[in-house]
Amino acid sequence: MNKILKVILNIMIVIASLVFFVCFVLMIQSFKYKNREVEDPAETYAGVFEYKLRHRAYGEIIGDYYSRRMDSFGPVAGYEDLYKVGAYAHAAFMARVYSEKGNQYGIDRCNSSMKDIRSELGDLAHNANEIDEMIKNAP
Amino acid sequence: MICKKCRHEMGPEELKCPNCGADNPFALKHEQNMQGFKKKYAATEKEVKGFGKAVEGLGKKAAILIVLLIGIVIMLVIESLNYADPDEEEAVRRDAQKNAAAYAQEADAFLERGEYMEYVSYLYAHELMNFPPEKEFGKFRRVQYVAKEYYECIRNMEEMILRSDDPDYFDSLDTDIEIFCMYLDGFYETFEVQKTSEKDEVYLTYILDMDTELRAAMRTYFSMDEAGVQDFIDLSRAKKAVKLQEVLRHE
Repeated sequence: MNKILKVILNIMIVIASLVFFVCFVLMIQSFKYKNREVEDPAETYAGVFEYKLRHRAYGEIIGDYYSRRMDSFGPVAGYEDLYKVGAYAHAAFMARVYSEKGNQYGIDRCNSSMKDIRSELGDLAHNANEIDEMIKNAP
Repeated sequence: MICKKCRHEMGPEELKCPNCGADNPFALKHEQNMQGFKKKYAATEKEVKGFGKAVEGLGKKAAILIVLLIGIVIMLVIESLNYADPDEEEAVRRDAQKNAAAYAQEADAFLERGEYMEYVSYLYAHELMNFPPEKEFGKFRRVQYVAKEYYECIRNMEEMILRSDDPDYFDSLDTDIEIFCMYLDGFYETFEVQKTSEKDEVYLTYILDMDTELRAAMRTYFSMDEAGVQDFIDLSRAKKAVKLQEVLRHE
């Protein structure tokens, strides 16, 4: 009886030792995962944003703007230009809709918002002109 | 002790009287008891030593096993903690529950100003779109269903209208049109249900205004008059897509 118990214990120790070793290796890997260098999404997006601006892909920019806003209503670090261009494009789009609808309050709000954003755009002012042009000529 | 035979004094442990040599019954009885105890002691000692020899090392092995198992559990806990990324949405959800009343007030203000896109974005950003607290957001339920569809329609229209005109850039217009048509159908399905179910006149006004605004957007950006918009809405999804191809690609 005791011999059987000893054999069983020996087998269990061997199995536990193997599991212990595997867990140890996995734990070391988990530290590597925890301390991994995470790419800053804002930094990565900066290049994408620039590329889209260069190709006048404002539709995609506005899509990105709405996607970002699902996480953060106000501008977040690294995405300030996206928020400005997105908000400008939306205001420009809605200004024409309000005009068609005859909503003077909406038109004034959009114009005021566009004016404010334009004053903050700096180097991106020509992009605002391009958006205006696209909206004006649509469809 | 006193010897019963010669009345001579003797020790309790002396087996015979040192004077007359008579037996000491008390000492003899004691001696017999001691012999018995010694035998029992020897038997017990043998039994205990035998058992000890049989289980020798078992305790040590069990201790090793327990230490290994504890080590495994600790490592698994550390591992799971290392792989667990912080749930940022959870913090936002908690904040939304805590400040639901203030957020509901702000949401109402967006609706009042007719800023439906801002309203939906605001709810999404505060994790209030899908699981809003019933007490503060119950009144918005119907307007929220319609606003969600309106948001998707306007968003897709903006994406289509402001798509890149660069011939070298990827053209996703076909996909955008498909998505827009899907959301437009979704909007009118939701709109028809909610406009008859909404009992609050203020919120009903917002629902009707979203329809008016969407029609105005289609008139503006799809070059249609009111009758044309209605005809477009009544088309099947595939026919809507064909019609939009014609309008937006100038075919």
